[in-house]
Amino acid sequence: MKAAGWAVLALAAVLAVGAPGFFTAANLRDLALNNVATLITAAGLLLVILLGEIDISVGSQFAVCGLVIGVAPWAAPVAGMALGLANGALCGGLRLPSIVVSLAAMVALRDAIRWTTQGAWITLPAGFQWAGLGQDAGQWLVLGFAVLIVALLGWALANVGLLRNIYAVGANAEAAHLAGLPVAAVRIGTFAALGAMVGMAAWLNALRFNEVQPSAGTGLELKAIAAVVVGGASIRGGRGTMAGTVTGVVLLGMIGAALTFLGVSAYWEKAIQGAIILAAVVLDRWGGRDAR
Amino acid sequence: MPANARWVLAGLIVAELAVFGLIADNFFSVANAVEMLRLAVEVGLVALAMTCVITTGGIDLSAGSLMGLTAVGLGLLVEDAHWPLQLAIPAALLFGALAGGLNAFCIVRLRALPLIVTLGTYSLYRGLAEGVTNGARSFSQFGDGFRQFGQGGQAWVLLGAAILFWLLLERTSVGRAWSAIGFSPEGARYARIPVARRLALVYVLSGVMAALAGVIYAARVGQAKSDAGSGYELSAITAVVLGGTSIFGGRGSMAGTLLGLVAIVVLQTGLRLAALPAEFAGIATGLLLILTIALAAGRSWKTWVAVGGVAVALAGWVIVRPQPVARKFTVAMMPKAKGDPYFISCRKGAEEAAKELGVELLWDGPTDLDPARQSEIAESWITRGVDAIAVSVLNRESISPVLEKARARGIKVVTFDADAKPAARDFFVNQATPQSIGETLTDEAARLLGGKGDFAVVTGALSAANQNEWIVWIKRRLEKYPGLRLVKIVPSDDDRDRAFAETQTLIKAEPTVKLFMGISAPAVPGAGEAVKQSGRKDLFVIGLSLPNLNKPYVRSGAVQSVVLWNTGDLGYLTVWSAVKGQSGASSINAGRLGLKVIAGTEVILGTPFIFNKGNIEGFDF
Repeated sequence: MKAAGWAVLALAAVLAVGAPGFFTAANLRDLALNNVATLITAAGLLLVILLGEIDISVGSQFAVCGLVIGVAPWAAPVAGMALGLANGALCGGLRLPSIVVSLAAMVALRDAIRWTTQGAWITLPAGFQWAGLGQDAGQWLVLGFAVLIVALLGWALANVGLLRNIYAVGANAEAAHLAGLPVAAVRIGTFAALGAMVGMAAWLNALRFNEVQPSAGTGLELKAIAAVVVGGASIRGGRGTMAGTVTGVVLLGMIGAALTFLGVSAYWEKAIQGAIILAAVVLDRWGGRDAR
Repeated sequence: MPANARWVLAGLIVAELAVFGLIADNFFSVANAVEMLRLAVEVGLVALAMTCVITTGGIDLSAGSLMGLTAVGLGLLVEDAHWPLQLAIPAALLFGALAGGLNAFCIVRLRALPLIVTLGTYSLYRGLAEGVTNGARSFSQFGDGFRQFGQGGQAWVLLGAAILFWLLLERTSVGRAWSAIGFSPEGARYARIPVARRLALVYVLSGVMAALAGVIYAARVGQAKSDAGSGYELSAITAVVLGGTSIFGGRGSMAGTLLGLVAIVVLQTGLRLAALPAEFAGIATGLLLILTIALAAGRSWKTWVAVGGVAVALAGWVIVRPQPVARKFTVAMMPKAKGDPYFISCRKGAEEAAKELGVELLWDGPTDLDPARQSEIAESWITRGVDAIAVSVLNRESISPVLEKARARGIKVVTFDADAKPAARDFFVNQATPQSIGETLTDEAARLLGGKGDFAVVTGALSAANQNEWIVWIKRRLEKYPGLRLVKIVPSDDDRDRAFAETQTLIKAEPTVKLFMGISAPAVPGAGEAVKQSGRKDLFVIGLSLPNLNKPYVRSGAVQSVVLWNTGDLGYLTVWSAVKGQSGASSINAGRLGLKVIAGTEVILGTPFIFNKGNIEGFDF
């Protein structure tokens, strides 16, 4: 997490010299809005990763939830929770490996969407955009809501017993069981919570537009996982913080726009993004080695 | 447990074979067997090494990206440096070893987790391939011998590699060391296993196999581009896991991986031959995965109830599924990508024509822009024995030999939207050339900007062939307008949200840009929304897109003009040409479109049309 923080600062320093226009209020607000979906998804994914599990189907879940908005605007988080429950039942209930279950869910859901929608976009009711509040108020609503959810979750993760259980199960499931924790219920509940978060992300994202595209969320799982692990959470479970994840989202979210502001050709963007992730990993290991 | 999983999987494969033998045409044929084998090789090579990686408790997500980077590297060596293939291929494999070595270094020396490291290199290797080629360049001058090899010779490579890897994993101390590391790295160290060296070896091997798969991809498809091998890592991991190798490490089985590979390939080709939509492949693969691991993991009654329910549902569907009664003239039509709104409206016109002509229309294509998949689908149509094939070509080098084969079998071949080599088809239904698209867009930009000013292009994927060709023509047309300047090209990956974000950033980062030109269907509404939300009235958005996607923005004035032809008419005319087109004729009577001119072997639809506030309400597609 420290490495990610330093990387953000380094990038900010380069921008301050090379492209001070990056730091206008409007640009920062728009950048934040464009990363709301990743932020909320990553926050939810952090919980599952803390368990020592993974869910790579979040991108496909995001698309399903988006389509649900077209049917019943407020049902997205419910649909997400249902999908999360299904994953949770297979992983937490039947104890199937989560990477396999969510790989299956990712592929199956994505193709199911392609088949049912045949790629057609869904137009939302006229008053849906910005929840009918107009752009200025709507933008702050989306942003404020996202920050509120993530802050609340972060606080609860550090202080509320119910969520502390996730750390306990992730660090040592056997010990948690012996200590009387309902391990299976914790696991299922966490997957369901992630699903609900993804649904929320889809809803907040849809508020910014007036149409939903069925191909939405492709690659979201990679962005979110990268943000969580660059933010210092251990993929083996039990270790990681919300502050770290937020730092990860900030780092990965600002790279693309930063390169545009610095005048770097878009053709090299992906390579530089990969190099920055690797650099953060390397820094983290070198920084952390002395302490161990 | 692996033995158990293997039996379950073998049973599932038998079930697949039985079902497809019943519902798919020509499923049990030599041609199909060869086809399936060719399909399996690249994923197979990656999967063999992946089995070892997963046995050590690791993962390699970078394999597919490395395939693309190696294919591009091979192309550069052969085309630019003029290396002979005998030298270039070993160099490519060596490069694969080095790239695998980078993974190994981070994982073994820096003790970073494989998932994170290879997630980083997944992006890095694909990004390098895109950067080096500017996304657009593709290589196809590999010579005929290399292509010839890719028509079946690669099966021996897979066979050889499979035997080697089986020996390595299951019959040597190296393989046992990998298992031991997967069970417990700590324990392995106490057992005096050189953990670092063994782990490094497995990632280097994975790199080499990915490179080999990249070379074979280039041989099979006849073309190397930066997007080669996208998603292959997921197929490989699926095969490995289906085969009963534990994702937590410790237990790996080569035979299982090969069975898993067979299960996936049989499923994909079977669905195609049965003319079921390609989307079923993902749904069925997902079910298969969960089924296999659930059955292998436990035999509690809950599992059996779940599995039984799915099996009964599937069996019921196979039985109830309506069977075609009499065999009609069948036209098989393939878009560049199925989900693309452009082709969806194309399909509507095609279906209308098929109804009028009383023919059967098969509609299938890649779900993403994958030229290799196009060839695979066309091959399966030849095997199935359709009467006519109509293709919107993604890559002419790779599909032309397949289409020539179809013509040799007496199948009528028509291309639409984008052409193959002239010898590979009877007709090309030409809607508008890339040149006229590029010129119309540039002229429109010049008109709006008064012949002077900066503009930016929002493209699809950076490696998309179509878009890159249009960009070439846009740049060429700029010579006519010395005051116009193209200052930036940004990708949207055919994603509206990405196009929105990129445009929003550009509005602030490049304040001189006054016009945004979207050249992928979702990019225009994305850019339009960004301009609308910016509140700026001095910015223009134009592009190539569908009227329906853009109506709200054209109405509100955020988008000035959308350039396109009537895509429904394109599909309509294509089916008419496939059924009624006579070689040597100078025109064709195409139903409601009336008489259309045939110039040589090209059926001309008309020139691109400009939709704007004045006329857009009259169109619905």
